[in-house]
Amino acid sequence: MQEGAVQPILIVEDSDEDYEATVRAFRKLQVDHRLIRCVDGHAALHFLSRHTAQHDADHSGQSSRPAIILLDLNLPGMDGRDVLRQIKTDANLKGIPVIILTTSNNPLDIQACYQEGANTYVQKPLDLEQFYYTISILYTYWFDITSLPGV
Amino acid sequence: MSDTELPSDAKDDLTYCDREPIHILGHAQSHGVVLVLQPSDCTILQVSDNTLALLGYKPEELWQQALSRIFAPDVIAYLKHCAQHEHLSENPLYIFTINVIGRVQLFDAIAHMIDGLLILELEPTLLESTIARINPYRTLKTALPRLMSTLTLTPFCQGVAEHVRTLTGFDRVMVYRFHADQSGEVIAEARRDDLEPYLGLHYPASDIPQQARALYLRNWLRLIPDVADVPATIVPALNPVTGRPLDMSFAVLRSVSTMHIEYLINMGVRASMSISLITDNQLWGLIACHHQSGPKYVPYDIRTACEFLAQVVSAQIGTKREHEDYTYALQLKSIVTEFVAVLSTSDNLLDGLTQLSPNLLDVMQASGAAICFNGECRQLGVTPDVASIRQLIAWIAAHSDQAVFATNTLARDYPPGEQMIAVASGVLAVAISRTRHDYVLWFRPEVIQTVHWAGDPHKPYEVADDGVHLSPRKSFALWKQEVRSTSQPWQPCEIEAAQELRNAIIAVVLRKAEELARLNTELTRSNAELDAFAYIASHDLKEPLRGIHNYASFLLEDYEDKLDAEGVEKLHTLKRLTQRMDALIESLLHYSRVGRVDLSFRTTDLNQLLAEVLELLKPLIDEVQAEIHIPRPLPTIDCDQVRVREVFHNLISNALKYNVRDHRWVEIGYDDTGSYRDRLKLQPSIILDDPSSQPETAPVVLYVQDNGIGIRDKHFEVIFRIFRRLHARDAFGGGTGSGLTIAKKIIERHGGHIWVESVYGEGSKFCFTLQPWES
Repeated sequence: MQEGAVQPILIVEDSDEDYEATVRAFRKLQVDHRLIRCVDGHAALHFLSRHTAQHDADHSGQSSRPAIILLDLNLPGMDGRDVLRQIKTDANLKGIPVIILTTSNNPLDIQACYQEGANTYVQKPLDLEQFYYTISILYTYWFDITSLPGV
Repeated sequence: MSDTELPSDAKDDLTYCDREPIHILGHAQSHGVVLVLQPSDCTILQVSDNTLALLGYKPEELWQQALSRIFAPDVIAYLKHCAQHEHLSENPLYIFTINVIGRVQLFDAIAHMIDGLLILELEPTLLESTIARINPYRTLKTALPRLMSTLTLTPFCQGVAEHVRTLTGFDRVMVYRFHADQSGEVIAEARRDDLEPYLGLHYPASDIPQQARALYLRNWLRLIPDVADVPATIVPALNPVTGRPLDMSFAVLRSVSTMHIEYLINMGVRASMSISLITDNQLWGLIACHHQSGPKYVPYDIRTACEFLAQVVSAQIGTKREHEDYTYALQLKSIVTEFVAVLSTSDNLLDGLTQLSPNLLDVMQASGAAICFNGECRQLGVTPDVASIRQLIAWIAAHSDQAVFATNTLARDYPPGEQMIAVASGVLAVAISRTRHDYVLWFRPEVIQTVHWAGDPHKPYEVADDGVHLSPRKSFALWKQEVRSTSQPWQPCEIEAAQELRNAIIAVVLRKAEELARLNTELTRSNAELDAFAYIASHDLKEPLRGIHNYASFLLEDYEDKLDAEGVEKLHTLKRLTQRMDALIESLLHYSRVGRVDLSFRTTDLNQLLAEVLELLKPLIDEVQAEIHIPRPLPTIDCDQVRVREVFHNLISNALKYNVRDHRWVEIGYDDTGSYRDRLKLQPSIILDDPSSQPETAPVVLYVQDNGIGIRDKHFEVIFRIFRRLHARDAFGGGTGSGLTIAKKIIERHGGHIWVESVYGEGSKFCFTLQPWES
């Protein structure tokens, strides 16, 4: 991977309203990263299998391998928890930080997700301002404070 | 009082009598002659020493002589023939009526073989008018069909007594029956009208010694025609061939022991005859005949007829008794079946056993019944008191591991039973659960209570100084002593019935347990489903809510400059509404979880808990500048920490919010003086074993008190209902109106109660307990 290639952020979210809110949040932060959206688990896994080979950069220096994945749990068809499991048991994919971003505050869900290897579990606040704030904290944390694995 | 060999109140003589060899005493009744012959050639070996008077020969003139000395050759030939071809072994048979050569007197000759000897007994033939003479065969022929037609034992035996009296002419004929403990009872009687009745009389077992009983099994009939008779002696005492004394077990002329004679004399009996009644090779009873007016000679043919009757009766008794037993067993079975059918339909075991019909007592022949189950004890009829019953159950559980425990002599094995013999000499107990002392019991009173004797207890009786004196009254008294503290024994069919009942009861209990287990499983599953449902439902409800909220936000973001103030305000309202709905869904979900999730009890220091809650509420406390009073440290109790924290949080935050004063305070404390006893008693609680008892410790009543706005009486109940607020939506800091509801739910799941005391405008005191009210 070439130095300076910017990795996209993969967002797995079926709700258009929630995705719109996420887009606005990132827009406010004026991030460099491309936002890639998948509406369900299958699409997400499909994308990941095709675009995450090492040394896979396109001509513009942009890598398709996501830097982080924002994953909603309640997806149509394949459940978000299954997507998490698939990612975290795949040798190639498990290094990608997965942030569960969901409305569920069920302790069983929280327990299960961390058990399956989720890196972070965040409950989506209802309030939009708070949501913006949450996204900004997440972004700062993952991209400014912590070090992400290289490609 | 029948043909006993010995009186019973001479205890020393009793042991002697049991050993006395009554069959080889070597005496014969003097009205007849006994000749002991060598079977092969009829040589006379022994004779009774009265041969001179009756036969005209002295004993020494007959010893070692051929029988041809006194009887004609054809007699002897016939005798030899019979000895060879008839079944004479231990079986006396009438051979012929003969006379001694040269003499007139006719004798009935009866012969039998025993111990290798041929015994020939000669009884003087009684000459009676042939017309007046009783025809035994006709009598029998009449008697038998009548007897066969009676179905049950008592009338049957009554008929027997009467027919024997008709046949023999004895003053009194009794049918005497032995019970399992060998005591005897007169169950039928035919007597001369002027005689005192002995019907119903009971005799102790000791009245008839073992030796006698053994003999009566071998020899069916014994006759003592005259107690005043001076018996003749068998000479020589030892048989020259066998070297032994003569075994007179089957000799008709056998004379009984002198003690027995004395005994009969004391009874005022001049002649007696007894015939055995034998079933299943056991001595079932006796036909006992007494004569007081004088001696009584019963001719051979009548004796044989009586013996025959006794044998037929013996055979029939078995059937009659079986019939009675069978009828009773059938009755018992039928009532048990009915009972079981009724029981299986009832919901409550105790009610079913005691209140339906037939009930527990109807099923068994008993005077009282009781059931102890699940700590509760119910009684029917006449029983010991509850404490005694429980004590008895504890003893039975410890001493018997059988499912059914039966005794008719409780006091003998269980010392405290002495106190209860009038009510519970007999106990039949079935165990439903030995370990938990769940038992069903039936009680029978002392049998004496149920027996009465028609005889006159006040009749004076002469007591002679010499000899032994026994009277029916003494016999009865003795018998009463022996059956003291015993009840009617439990019959096998009754024990079987008890076993069946036990099975039925256990089936009911098991069924209930199964139902309960099934309900539990369903409840658990239903709970799990509800849990899942609640989460999914809340999630699905919240989604569109988020959408609405988000879009309202987007609108504001994108079109704020194009909207007027009112429009913006409306969009803000929209957002607030969605937030409110979200909070409502959240609290509903929370309330639902609080109701279903298992509590985890831990020993909790409430002070610690309170400190945490106050820490959490610090912002609010500071905001309203409230004072927190904690008069004394709170106790330590067992509870679910997380949930109770929530209770305190809700109550204290309410206390802080619902206040308009400048100086607000909240007090948290507890009351253990028991002043809330009555209030707590009014609440439904667990069923107590004994509702009249007072609790030993006062319940701990925690409270959160404030000087807030107060609550009107009429609202005391309504405030605990979910989403119910008494004020406008945003007043007093808003809220979904679920705080008290959730607190109440948590408290109730701990088995406690919550209530409010308040004066409107002055303040409120929320009181609650976290433990069930129990003694």
